Amino acid sequence: MTALAPRASRRRRSAGWPAATTLRYAALIVGAIVMVTPFLYMLSTSFQSQAYVLTIPPQFIPNPATTGNYTAAIGTENFLLYFVNSLIVAVISTAGSVLLSSMMAYSFARFAFRGKEAIFRLLLAGLTIPAVMLLIPQFILARNLHLLDSLGGLIFFYIAGSLSLNTFLMRGFFASIPGELDQAMQVDGANSWTRYWRLAIPLAKPAIAVATIFTFLNSWDEYPIALTMINNSDNATLPLAIANFQGQHATQWGLVFAASLIAVIPVLIVFLVFQRYFVQGLTSGAVKG
Amino acid sequence: MKRSSKLGLAVVTAATISLVAAGCAASTTGSGTGTKASPVTVTFWGSYGNGGNSTQQDALNKTLIPAFEKANPGITIKYTDIAYDSLLQKLTTSAAGGQLPDLVRADLGWVPQFAANGVLVPLSGSMSDYKTLAAKDYAGNVSTNLYKGKYYGLPLDTNTRVLITDQAALAKAGVTAPPATFADLQTMATKLKGTGVSLFADSGLGAWNVSPWIWSGGGDLTNPDETKATGFLNSATNVQTIQMLVDWYKAGLIPNLITGNKGATGTSDGLPKTKYATIFDGPWMSGIWTGQYPKFQPTYSPIPAGSGGSISVVGGEDIVLTASSTHQAAAEKFIRFTQTSAFQIAMAKTGQMTVEPSLADQQAQLAPYYKVYSDQLKTAKSRIASPNQSKIDAVLTTTLTPAFLGKTTVQAALDSAASQIDALLAGN
Repeated sequence: MTALAPRASRRRRSAGWPAATTLRYAALIVGAIVMVTPFLYMLSTSFQSQAYVLTIPPQFIPNPATTGNYTAAIGTENFLLYFVNSLIVAVISTAGSVLLSSMMAYSFARFAFRGKEAIFRLLLAGLTIPAVMLLIPQFILARNLHLLDSLGGLIFFYIAGSLSLNTFLMRGFFASIPGELDQAMQVDGANSWTRYWRLAIPLAKPAIAVATIFTFLNSWDEYPIALTMINNSDNATLPLAIANFQGQHATQWGLVFAASLIAVIPVLIVFLVFQRYFVQGLTSGAVKG
Repeated sequence: MKRSSKLGLAVVTAATISLVAAGCAASTTGSGTGTKASPVTVTFWGSYGNGGNSTQQDALNKTLIPAFEKANPGITIKYTDIAYDSLLQKLTTSAAGGQLPDLVRADLGWVPQFAANGVLVPLSGSMSDYKTLAAKDYAGNVSTNLYKGKYYGLPLDTNTRVLITDQAALAKAGVTAPPATFADLQTMATKLKGTGVSLFADSGLGAWNVSPWIWSGGGDLTNPDETKATGFLNSATNVQTIQMLVDWYKAGLIPNLITGNKGATGTSDGLPKTKYATIFDGPWMSGIWTGQYPKFQPTYSPIPAGSGGSISVVGGEDIVLTASSTHQAAAEKFIRFTQTSAFQIAMAKTGQMTVEPSLADQQAQLAPYYKVYSDQLKTAKSRIASPNQSKIDAVLTTTLTPAFLGKTTVQAALDSAASQIDALLAGN
């Protein structure tokens, strides 16, 4: 009886695995449907004329289909300028934020200095303050620094706003890189900058990918700061332009969704480029056992 | 022939606008108004953009502003369009940072709020011809600029809500004419049950939405001095009127768009799609439907009358000058330009009703539905003039929504709203 018990247990387990796998798949499929359906609906609506949008039951295959919304969105005065403005702001903000936060994270992870933990916690405290509470102080600061109504002002605040989270993410990552690698380089005469730039950064690609995707997405989508700081339409970014498609009395949803889909393209590109680092083993192969 | 007459009309309109703009230029004197030698740029914020429909912005940017600038060398008007839902937030933040533009096209409900914050110039003091200009406008619209004895703006455009119906939906209810009374609506309600067509739809429960029902039902929001809501807003008459709406809502005859379901079909789409039989809305809808539902033929008629008659709500925008403006004289020139018949009629062509009663006939010639709006305006009332108007809207929405959802009674909801509004009026 006792001898049979482990075999029976194994049988039960092996019989249970397909069921668990099926459940996992079912949960994943349901999750995927929940995530993808709104996007498909948005895609479908963007190819419908106003008379056919928001019909019940929802129409996922547009009939009749039209590309009129895309033509109208792109044809809107300055739409391409807003696109370029958004691209400039998002690319520079992302590069600046990832560079600065990775340097800060490296110093928090590798160096010992007085008040290190206190400064780090102060930095993290920034994450707990709701962004909307900072709008007016940021606006006044921007005014005093003469950064209002400029792309440079947006870049400044987008970098500042993303430093806390990125530093937090990357500090943990840098700390997990074995210290022996640093020591080995140090013995070979590498200074701090070389160890950061030639060792930590190449090994931290997955963390940099995460920080890049988050920062790009946040800078690309950001609305409240852009709304309060930008006055001249020549400096407007895409979220402002898309918001203007929503009217006080009526909204052309096909147009809003077409413009939003155009706006999604750069985000998709950034995600596809950096996606493979997401799933990469963090430090696998860095230290030979 | 037809084409050439249209072209001729356009040329005459442009010439008239230029002449009037030039007239404005000639009538203004003083330093710092903007000259060829020392040009100034006057910044102007508003929400003329209409959900992708740029007719009004185009009229402003391509016809009116160029005409003004041509007649006033040295003054450039830089107009920035901001989404309506975000404009108040942007104005509030900019006011806090002292970075407002020179001119704002402000919802008439916002003027007392900004006047109370001290960020506007009282035009009745700074413009010597204020009284003459204001005398040409509807008194009700001028009064929306009044705060503590001073007038802080001039009416720019006006509007009101009338009943708009879909003929196909009326046919489903077995009627041919739009409902003229609350009783007619009750009859329609019985007939529309189970047809899938809603009797009435609206997008909220703020003062803009519920006031026409309350006033037409014979009730009021406050006492005549607008110092107390208790005893008025929560009167038996108002309970009866709101209960009528709640009963329709519970019977599925009013969609949950009214209680804040952002995903519900909007009134501008639901009416032409025969999902909704009736809505209350403004003159801008015609332009929206012409572009989006060219085959739809809406019927415009007065708000259905209850025991109080057919009473609607005054809407519109005022033009205000900010205290931080460094080009006040130039900005005042543009304000004068907005009060000319050329400006008013050019904007009326895009769905913005004129604020000058003397132009009503000329406006009615542009489109027949304007007459329904002009007639409705004669008895329409203004919302409570208070710096807390947006808070009053929030109170009405948050107290009435539970009554519609069946979580409280209409009496309890109105009692609570009245008491909260009393506190807001006391802070005026």
